[in-house]
Amino acid sequence: MTEKLDENFIKSLVVIALGIMRGKGDPYDLVNGAMEYLISNKEKYMDHPNIKAIAVLKMKGLFIDGIRKNQKMTSMTDDEGNDLQIVDEKQADISDKISLSDECSKVLSVIKTMGEKCQEVLMLASEGMSMQEMQEVTQVKSLGTVLSRLSNCRKELKGLLA
Amino acid sequence: MIDETKIMQYADGTLPIEEHEEVKKAIEADPKLKELYNNFQETGDLLFKLGNEIKSKPLPQNLQDKANIIKSWKKPLAKETGSFNFFGLFKIQYAGVAAAFAMFFVGGFYTNTFVASLDGDNKKTVMMATQKIDTPKELKLRGMPNTDEDLSTRVTNLYRYFDEEQFLNDINSKIDNMNLNDEFESSLEDNDGKKVRFILVENFNANGNDCKKVKFNEPLKLSSNDQGTDVSLDLCKINNNYEISTINLSK
Repeated sequence: MTEKLDENFIKSLVVIALGIMRGKGDPYDLVNGAMEYLISNKEKYMDHPNIKAIAVLKMKGLFIDGIRKNQKMTSMTDDEGNDLQIVDEKQADISDKISLSDECSKVLSVIKTMGEKCQEVLMLASEGMSMQEMQEVTQVKSLGTVLSRLSNCRKELKGLLA
Repeated sequence: MIDETKIMQYADGTLPIEEHEEVKKAIEADPKLKELYNNFQETGDLLFKLGNEIKSKPLPQNLQDKANIIKSWKKPLAKETGSFNFFGLFKIQYAGVAAAFAMFFVGGFYTNTFVASLDGDNKKTVMMATQKIDTPKELKLRGMPNTDEDLSTRVTNLYRYFDEEQFLNDINSKIDNMNLNDEFESSLEDNDGKKVRFILVENFNANGNDCKKVKFNEPLKLSSNDQGTDVSLDLCKINNNYEISTINLSK
């Protein structure tokens, strides 16, 4: 996978971030974090043959870190013993920030109700990734698994849209 | 029993061409598979639209700034040494033709005129259906005049408008009887409902395969800032049927 590094590269990460975040939080933040990581590690990654996979894996790591942080926060209280507010589910999502057509908004909102693996693979597909690329970024061992996962998720999506 | 994933790949245009016949027959013979095929086409289209729509939105300023930073990285251009299947892709949802184009355009994508060609004895190969041939000398992809224009967007838009399977069905029965400069009216329609016409502009031979170049009869507008792109297609005869071997985009 050879990427032209430009705004289109970042836009493709936004689509993938939506699949990683499952509607929780702002995908632009995730992309921003991954881009900061790439930029600060320029020498290490600028020649990497699959820089998109590096960015996706970093976004996944950042998302998991965010969940862990929030999980810790659930046991935290303020000075008066009140629970600290967890903003996780309430954060603005991309659909609040950009206007999508009714059709695409509906598809995106349905995808957000689906399981984690489906969200990921469907958004990777909508980004235009090939099966091999999906296998690489999902780190699934078998290409057949990626194929059957995407097939099942698309059938589920169709059912939910009906 | 046909695996459902093969139906999905067929619907997406990513199934290897040698498996088309078997899957096509199974779909035609079984209404349930036909419905599944239609559903996969529908979800493929929806996902494609969703991705495109999200990507069509401008980036926030902080990300735009980062885009400007990484743009300045002088990434070495990758050298394509392997072969790839550039045929049988009638839809573009999953990077099919776009990826093929991207590979072709490596090395020359940023130039104004000539984009992909053979250099010296360094032979690249293209898989033509099940048959491997050397890339013909005629195989050229011409670049966009503006370096800011995104080729994959143009190719994507072309394929939103151009149904390769339908086109090949239409033209295969007629092209052998056409003379140079003959016009051919396909059953494809543009966004205004006008029938799309093609002109046969060249007959040539690529490694023993009879090939023909047909051109859209008028320039296409393939992106919002496109003033009109001339699009021609190289078709080569493989197993008695013409397949698209190259898409030429030029101004």
